[in-house]
Amino acid sequence: MPLTLVLAYRNLFRNTRRTVLTSLMIGCCLAALILTDGVIKGMLDVMIDSVTQTFAGEGQVHRKGFRDSLDTDLYMNNIDELEATLKADKSIAGYSVRTIAGGMISSSYHMTGGAIYGVSAEQEAGVSKLKQAIIQGSYLSDGDAEILIGKGMAELLEVDLGDRLVVTLAQVDGGDLSQALFRVSGIFQFGMRELDENVTFISLARGRELLGTGQGAHEIAIRFVNAEDAEDSNLPIFKQLSRNGNEALGWLEINPQIGAMIEMVDYSTLIVGLVLYLLAALGIINSMFMSIYERIYEFGVIKALGTRPGQLIQLILIEALLLGILGSIIGLALGGALTWYFSVHGIPLGEFEFEGISLADKIRTIPAVNQFVVFPIWVLVLTVVAGIYPAIFASRIVPSRALQRAL
Amino acid sequence: MESLIKTTQLCRYFGTEAIQVKALDHVDLEISSGEFTAIVGPSGSGKSTLLNLIGGLDNPTSGKVELGGTDIAKMTGTELSNFRRDHIGFVFQAYNLIPVLSAAENIEYVMLLQGVAATERKQKVEEILEKVGMQGLGDRRPAELSGGQQQRAAVARALVSKPDIILADEPTANLDSKTGIGLLDMMKQLNEELNVTFVFSTHDEKIMERARRLIHLADGEIEEDEIR
Repeated sequence: MPLTLVLAYRNLFRNTRRTVLTSLMIGCCLAALILTDGVIKGMLDVMIDSVTQTFAGEGQVHRKGFRDSLDTDLYMNNIDELEATLKADKSIAGYSVRTIAGGMISSSYHMTGGAIYGVSAEQEAGVSKLKQAIIQGSYLSDGDAEILIGKGMAELLEVDLGDRLVVTLAQVDGGDLSQALFRVSGIFQFGMRELDENVTFISLARGRELLGTGQGAHEIAIRFVNAEDAEDSNLPIFKQLSRNGNEALGWLEINPQIGAMIEMVDYSTLIVGLVLYLLAALGIINSMFMSIYERIYEFGVIKALGTRPGQLIQLILIEALLLGILGSIIGLALGGALTWYFSVHGIPLGEFEFEGISLADKIRTIPAVNQFVVFPIWVLVLTVVAGIYPAIFASRIVPSRALQRAL
Repeated sequence: MESLIKTTQLCRYFGTEAIQVKALDHVDLEISSGEFTAIVGPSGSGKSTLLNLIGGLDNPTSGKVELGGTDIAKMTGTELSNFRRDHIGFVFQAYNLIPVLSAAENIEYVMLLQGVAATERKQKVEEILEKVGMQGLGDRRPAELSGGQQQRAAVARALVSKPDIILADEPTANLDSKTGIGLLDMMKQLNEELNVTFVFSTHDEKIMERARRLIHLADGEIEEDEIR
C-alpha cells in the first residue's frame, strides 16, 4: 500500500472514537437519505397506483373536447373499430368502454347529483378495482336494474342494498330526459372521496339506452401490460386511437398534477439531501479540524521535512475520503437494512388522504439503484469537498509557528 | 573554503514596534561545507530562531540567508519545500517522528517526498538504520522506542535524503547525558564519514566540547565565534 495511504489510514484511527462517531454521523445521514427516498418513491407509487389502478386506467380515449367540457354529446361512434385496434395490440392488457353522464340520483328520502357510468361488467373488472371495491352486495352482472353506488352516496341518500333509486339524466344530441328505476345491488368503497360520494355504475347497455348513444360511448379506459408504457405520449397505440376526432392520452397527460408532484418529489429529495449533506459536512469539517489541531506540531515537522502544501492537502483529502468510505459503508448497511425492512413490513401511517386520494395505511419503501450508487458517490464527493477547507488550513501552517520553541 | 551557509545582516524581530523583541539582530555568519558547528548560548539567546531562519522555516525581518549561494528568501513556498527536502535535514529536540509510522516508515517518508522508488527506499532504510545502530528496530513505532533510539531514527531520517546540511535544535536536550554524548559522537562520525555539514544548538557544556566550532549567541547577536 502506498505510504501516503498508510499514513492517512493510520491517522484516521489515531482517535478511533472520533472517527467512528463521525463515520456514524455520515452513515446516519446517508441512511436517512436512502430511507427518505425509498419512502417518497413508495408514496408516489401508491399515489400513481391509486390514480391509475383504482379506476381511471393508465390511458383513456375520448372524443376530443369531452374531457374539458364533459358534454355528453361528445361521444365516440366508432367503438367497434377502436376495440379492434385495442384487441390487436399486444401491449394492451385490457380496456373498458364507458358511457358517462351527469344526472340526478334520487332515493325515497333524498336526492343528489352525480356521475352515472355505464360499464361492461367483464371489461371493467379487467381495468379498474371496482369489483374489489365492493363492500356490500355484489358486483355488476350486466343486469338492467342493478346499480352500484359508493358508501358515501349510500349514506347521503340513506339507502341500503335492494333499495330503489331513480336515475334521471339528459339524453344526448338534445334529446329528452331519461328516467329509470334501479335497485341498489352493491355498495363500493374505493377510498377516494370523489368516487365514493359522486359516482354510480350501471350496465353499459343500460347506460347507452338511457343516453341514446346507440353503440357509442364516452370513454375507453385502458390498462397496459407494462404500466410504464403509458407514460410515453408518443406511443404508437395512442396515435392509432387518436383518429376520427378522438384523442388517446396516457395517465400523465390526463393527470398533469401527478406529473408535477413527481417533479416536486425529485426536488424534495434534493432538498432533504442538501440539508443532510450540509449537516454531515459541518460534522466532517469539525472532526477534521479537531484532528488537524491535535497534529499541528506534526504538520510543522512534515512541512519542515519538505512536504509541499499540495502534498499535505492530498494527505488530508485522502483522510477525508477514507472517512467518507467508512461512513458510506455504514450508511449503505443501515439504509439498506431499513429500506429492506420497511419494503417488507411497511411504515404504518394510518389512513390519510392526499389530493383526494386515499393512501394505503402502510407505505412500503422502494429501493432503487440510485440510492445505493449515486447517494454514496455524493457522500464521498461531499466528504472530500468538506475536507478542502481543513486541508488548505493545514497546508498554510507555518512550520516555525507550528513547531513553536523547537525547530 | 566556500561558504555553504551565509547570513548577511540577518534580523528577526517579534512583537509590535512598541514592544519589540529582537530575537536575532544583524547576524553575519558563514559556515563552510563539512563543518560540525554548535550554536550555543543561554535560553532566549536566538539559537532556535537562527536555525529556523537557516532552515527556511521562518522568514527574516530583514537581511539575507544564502544556502549554497541561493537566497532562500527569493524562493516560492513550493521551491522552499523542495529545497528543504533535498538539501536540509532536520533533527528536532523532541524527536518528532510521525507517531503512526514505524521508524523505517518515518525514514522512508522523506524519500517518498523525493520520489525515490519503493525498492530503493527499502534498501536505503536498511542501510541507514545500520549506520545509526538501529538494525532490527525499523518495524517499531516511536512509542516502542527509547528516547535515544527515537533520536537516532530522527538523525537517520535527516540523513537519508543525503542533504548538504543537517540542522539540529538541542538534539540532546531530552536525553540523559550518556545517551546524549553517544548521539553526538554518532553525529560527529557521520559528519566525518559522509562530509555532511552539521549545525546544532545546545547549552550543554559536555556536548559543546565535541563541536569543532562554537558560535556563542547572546541577546540575538554573535558574541564569540570560536574555532577549535
